[in-house]
Amino acid sequence: MPPPPTRRTFLQLSGLSAAAVAIGVAAPAGADAAPGRPVPSGAFALGVASGDPRTDGFVLWTRLAPTPLATDGHGGMPSDPVPVQYEVAEDSQFKRVVRRGLAIATPELAHAVHPEVRGLRPDREYFYRFRAGSELSPVGRTKTLPVQGSQFTFATASCQAWYHGYFAAHRDIARRAPDAVFFLGDYIYEYGIVAGDNLWREGVSVGPEHGVEIETLEQYRLRYSLFKTDPDLQAAHAAAPWFLVWDDHEVQNNYGADNSLYGIPPELFVHRRAVAYRAFYENVPVALDSLPHGPDGQLYRRYDIGSLARVHLLDTRQYRDPLPVDEADRVSEQRTIMGAKQEKWLYDGLRHSPATWNVVAGGVVLSAITDDRTEQWDGYPANRSRVLEAMGQAGTAVMLTGDIHRHVASELKLDFANPDSRTVGVELVCSSVGSNGDGTDTDQYAQDWLQHPYVKLYNARRGYVHSTLTRTEMTTEFVNFPYIQADANAEPRVVASFRTPADDPRLEAL
Amino acid sequence: MNRPPAITQLRGTGDIGTLTLDWKPVSWATVVDHYAVYVAEPGATTYTLLGKTVYPHFVHRGLGFTGVTRSYRVVTVDAAGNRSQVSRSVAAANKTSVTISGQPIARVGFYDGKGSELALSPKGYAEYPTRFPSDVDYTYGTSVPSVDWSYLFPGPADKWAGTKNHTVTFRFDLTAVPEQDLDLALWLIDSHASIPGSAVLSVNGAEVGRLAFANGATKGSTIADTTYPGSPLKPSYLETPLSKALFRTGQNVIELVKDEGSWIAYDAFGVYARK
Repeated sequence: MPPPPTRRTFLQLSGLSAAAVAIGVAAPAGADAAPGRPVPSGAFALGVASGDPRTDGFVLWTRLAPTPLATDGHGGMPSDPVPVQYEVAEDSQFKRVVRRGLAIATPELAHAVHPEVRGLRPDREYFYRFRAGSELSPVGRTKTLPVQGSQFTFATASCQAWYHGYFAAHRDIARRAPDAVFFLGDYIYEYGIVAGDNLWREGVSVGPEHGVEIETLEQYRLRYSLFKTDPDLQAAHAAAPWFLVWDDHEVQNNYGADNSLYGIPPELFVHRRAVAYRAFYENVPVALDSLPHGPDGQLYRRYDIGSLARVHLLDTRQYRDPLPVDEADRVSEQRTIMGAKQEKWLYDGLRHSPATWNVVAGGVVLSAITDDRTEQWDGYPANRSRVLEAMGQAGTAVMLTGDIHRHVASELKLDFANPDSRTVGVELVCSSVGSNGDGTDTDQYAQDWLQHPYVKLYNARRGYVHSTLTRTEMTTEFVNFPYIQADANAEPRVVASFRTPADDPRLEAL
Repeated sequence: MNRPPAITQLRGTGDIGTLTLDWKPVSWATVVDHYAVYVAEPGATTYTLLGKTVYPHFVHRGLGFTGVTRSYRVVTVDAAGNRSQVSRSVAAANKTSVTISGQPIARVGFYDGKGSELALSPKGYAEYPTRFPSDVDYTYGTSVPSVDWSYLFPGPADKWAGTKNHTVTFRFDLTAVPEQDLDLALWLIDSHASIPGSAVLSVNGAEVGRLAFANGATKGSTIADTTYPGSPLKPSYLETPLSKALFRTGQNVIELVKDEGSWIAYDAFGVYARK
């Protein structure tokens, strides 16, 4: 047997530049699907995923990591490029395969691949799997968006602090297999994980390499690997395509733009942001457009679900102004949480939206709650007013957010200071999947939220939200779990249900 | 294997107990995993891994109070795990404290990482307004550290101390005008984590500058010891020269007015002559 090709000869043979292959989306024409040397067994230990669905396709994702918790962040993979084959079929037995392709997994991207599949039929279930050498992945189920669809189901989830508990929410999302899952940020947390301190997930232990706040790319990669070893998270990824946005903990608690809350100067902090954004891209099913360049990542984007709904995915971290220095600053017309470019993009997208519903997904709560919650849109009231005004000129708005580890349902008022102003949509705030552990039904913050007539629900247990959109109405269930720290087996409970008519947006308790 | 580029312009800046390295990072064209920082002790030819950082900046801590010149170099590790050639090395030393190099003239407390010999230590700050209604006025030789020198020096941000400026006055005798400049050594076991603030320093009524305090851990108000393993305190070391022209024969007065920020927690305070 000849020696395996080195990386250099591989690239020479392929006739492609390192940059083109390194992106892990495709392979050069005629590239050999056989790896240069055997792929280690168990290479699909982090599962499979799909995301950024369109009417004619989606992004597929996997990352080869036979030893997910290898401390160098490379998952136990040797540093060779590895060809990864994928198959997309109309049936779970792969009897009607409609696409086959090849992408090159490289160490530059921690052996992650993000092939983009196009040319499929709308509103249709598909199944996919990967092969690397003799290793075969689990099968994933995904779905294209409808063109003429009359119904669309989705779940929302956020804040999956692995160390605070088990992911019963993901187990149940996987069972329901919605048309899409919106993940609203805090996919990982950067904190050190320490037994006796913040490790509340019972029956697990972690090594000292997990006990420090992460900072380098290898540490961010390792943190994603740790969280992604969770079987329920893998099941939720394998059950539906995901739309992901990020919040702060993908980089560091409460950061904004290039400002760290912990005194790291901006000229240093951008280096941290660069590796954090890189690791995010490597570990989630987002399209190549979101591959960061240096410290900059393009994550706001838009998808149309026929004329039923337009989906706007926001980035409310990368471009936000610093926390206000005083009240005059907080209420300044110039303040922005989105940045001028993204604001214009959103308002254009809303005003020209042909859809019945405008689903806007972001990291932090939009509704007015208290003036001191400056981390969320309460710190950016002028930007909020501009958003609400644009929402008022379009189809009914459905704001999807997370961040607060509580279930909250709120009506979006054109002017929150005037209770009689028009309701332009609703906000569904999902509680955390894991963060803050078991929780309780209510807590000391409830009154801050429930003091407002437009807030219709507050619940402080862990869970997720499930909604069904039709041409005439949206029905929403807020699902929570009695516990999450002991195991992943808690039974779901519907803590509240609402109906929202498309032509008269409100939260009508069911 | 394609080696990423090595960093350039590595430089070291010594302080008491620490050595800070800075360098020019590689361009964004290289996706960096981290920079690996290596050190060689004096006389050693082998470098050992000191730490990894994503920043073009690294602080070597815990170096003690006697200056030692060490050699440092940095390796770039890229996203694929490839390692650059080693950077050019730089030799740099942490600073020697005046508490090692100088001769003590007058001091309060021991420079030992603990504040327990001082008044109200380790957590009696609530008694400050009644025990020190006119703040600290300490005369070296007659005053007693455990009675007359509060372990915390409050600032205007501290409600428990009246939300006002505070002053510490330190009096000591000189038998002659010093021939060389003196040094003030102000060591802290801790300080407020976000607003340690600053204080105006005067000698014999002449304002000589403002001392800015390093961020601490906000734990020194209840814990006195930085030296046990896992101590949460963040000590810092302030040493500043004082011109000999400021001093006179007989009693001299050093005054600090804390007119900004919150408290600092003392390890020791003293004036040193140069040997």
